[in-house]
Amino acid sequence: MIAGKKLIIVPAYNEENSIGAVIQDIYAHVDDVDVLVIDDGSTDRTAENARFHGAKVLTMPFNVGIGGGMQTGYRFALKHGYDVAVQMDADGQHCARELPKLFEQIEQYDLVIGSRYLEETAYRSTMMRRIGMIFFTGLLRIVLGQQFTDTTSGFRAANRKVIGLYADYYPMDYPEVESIVYLKRNGCRITEVKTEMRARQAGRSSITPIKSIYYMIKVTLSVIMCAARLKEVKPR
Amino acid sequence: MMNIYFLSLLLSLSFLVTTFELVRRQKLKEQYSLLWITFSITMLVVSLNVTFVEKIAQWMGVKYAPAILFLFGLLFCFAIMLHMTIVITKLSHQVLRLAQELTMMKESKSSHE
Repeated sequence: MIAGKKLIIVPAYNEENSIGAVIQDIYAHVDDVDVLVIDDGSTDRTAENARFHGAKVLTMPFNVGIGGGMQTGYRFALKHGYDVAVQMDADGQHCARELPKLFEQIEQYDLVIGSRYLEETAYRSTMMRRIGMIFFTGLLRIVLGQQFTDTTSGFRAANRKVIGLYADYYPMDYPEVESIVYLKRNGCRITEVKTEMRARQAGRSSITPIKSIYYMIKVTLSVIMCAARLKEVKPR
Repeated sequence: MMNIYFLSLLLSLSFLVTTFELVRRQKLKEQYSLLWITFSITMLVVSLNVTFVEKIAQWMGVKYAPAILFLFGLLFCFAIMLHMTIVITKLSHQVLRLAQELTMMKESKSSHE
């Protein structure tokens, strides 16, 4: 397993019911990590619960959305010289016991994605989600020429190079797919490892059926734009 | 005689004056006033020069010449709206970066206390 400072970034918006268990789970399975919860303007006790369970908490002054919150975590990792940053959901769907698998691969790769679909896992999802998965896998195969089985997985480990790139630019909403394209365009090596994922423990998915059409169109546009963007086009 | 050209002349003149006054009172930034000033002057020239409008109308096969004025006005509206969304995009980038920096500063301040 890689030596060096490791940070687990957990973006959370009104996740008071699950955040404590997620942090406990992390500390139970890995001991040489810092846990950073990005409280994205929650109106409940997310920040208090996270602090109570021993996490460092950054509270955004207002809700900036998943992308803006996640990027805050990467900027924090860059500023404090972390070697590895892992992003994990606050709803408990990512299992901390899978973290060593990500750490193992981060020695050879710039980004390691935990995949539900790489091999048969116990994870079951809805029809709509399946269709989306197949669509984005196909889109990325065309655009990047690499096969990703779980493009929307938010369970990822990043090394210093990726931390720097994400601190510079991170997509603002629905960032998962585009952020893969962005890294590939900047010459990063990306791999997937099989990870078990749980069905969410509390709260509800941010993606409702009504939003999923917008999601598909927006993400497709972002992916095409990101692929068309030259490296020299520096985001502000 | 009150026709569309005269009305257009009046409107563009008052627009020009309003824009100048807003910039003078610092209610409008010079950089954003440029588009408005360009618009007012273009409309002014176009409304003063009736034959010019009629010539363009004829050239473009437009039966009703003053419609050209509306075309100019409409195109300008699109231009300024595009400009505005570009400005908003830039601003939202800056606001996000500010929020992120502020959040990190708050944290480092409280952890030093």
